[in-house]
Amino acid sequence: MKAILNYIHKEVWSPYIAGILLGLVGIAAVWISNSLLGASGAFENVAGLIGKAVAPAAFDNMYFNFIMPPGITVSVILVVGIFFGGMLGAATSGTLKWGAKDTANSDPQWKRIFGESTAKRWGIAFIGAIILEYAAGIAGGCTSGLAISGGMLLAPAAYLFIAGMFASGIVTALVIYGKRY
Amino acid sequence: MNYIVALILGVFFGFSLNKAGLTKYNKIVNVFRFTDMAVLQFMMTALVVSMSGLYALRGLGLVTFPSVPATYIVGNLVGGLIFGVGMALSGYCPGTCAAGAGEGKLDYIVPGLLGFLTGAVIYGLTYEVVFPGISAIANYGNVVLPDLWHLDPFLTVLTFALMSFLLFYLIDRAGWQRKEK
Repeated sequence: MKAILNYIHKEVWSPYIAGILLGLVGIAAVWISNSLLGASGAFENVAGLIGKAVAPAAFDNMYFNFIMPPGITVSVILVVGIFFGGMLGAATSGTLKWGAKDTANSDPQWKRIFGESTAKRWGIAFIGAIILEYAAGIAGGCTSGLAISGGMLLAPAAYLFIAGMFASGIVTALVIYGKRY
Repeated sequence: MNYIVALILGVFFGFSLNKAGLTKYNKIVNVFRFTDMAVLQFMMTALVVSMSGLYALRGLGLVTFPSVPATYIVGNLVGGLIFGVGMALSGYCPGTCAAGAGEGKLDYIVPGLLGFLTGAVIYGLTYEVVFPGISAIANYGNVVLPDLWHLDPFLTVLTFALMSFLLFYLIDRAGWQRKEK
């Protein structure tokens, strides 16, 4: 019992143990409610909600009316859960640091490659996030909604996505890191 | 899925992402540099566990599969290729960003979440130009691999599991991992 508690307090687990936990969550989603995990769809629901409030005419299109209707959907609640899950995980290892200034680019590896500029970190992260969400739209899901959820059902879509993701991830890392790859 | 179930599953999901270390920039990027394979180990473990569980439960008649993510070869692949660029730039994906935001990291909360919303808006407004065309090419619908290629589902899962274990062996024992410079 004490060993288990000590393990929960560890900051980083074996990826195998954490992976087993995620696998069980994936099973539970199907078994309990016949649905799949996902994250990228939630941002589309919320984007539609904000868009329709701010500029109703522009957001009155097929996508926001029928494909991804806006609202606080179960996908959004799932992402809220992910948020609190990350918080809980950090709290158990004493690494929860709300809005602390040095968390902006706290990663030593980032600093080594890009320096300490917060603006640079935020700018690159913002562009990266736009690319991620747009790509998830085209692919039909992200790492959770397509790679994990589709992969566990053996959907070919998931493995095509994973192959593409690794190929371009490796090339991008090669370009960014250059001699330090 | 109802709200309570979504929230609880989300918490476990986010918790597993935090404990796997995936809410850190370096964990995500280093899988593309082959210096830390935790992302791959975590994903493959989750896939083996959930795939075995779900195909076994379906074999026993205890679950039916929810709508399988659609396979449209070019779109899944191109989406994955764009996605990998965003991942290597930002060091997160939609799920891990939500969990990292819960840990209080400002570069996950502000540029991350805003970037996803921006990406969702751009996607939603260009959907009709992009998606119907790309998803019509080589579209196999909501199919799973055993049905598509007429394979025995249990042998397919077993093969996937054995390939994953071989990969884990190669990463952990045979040193298929580069040393950080």
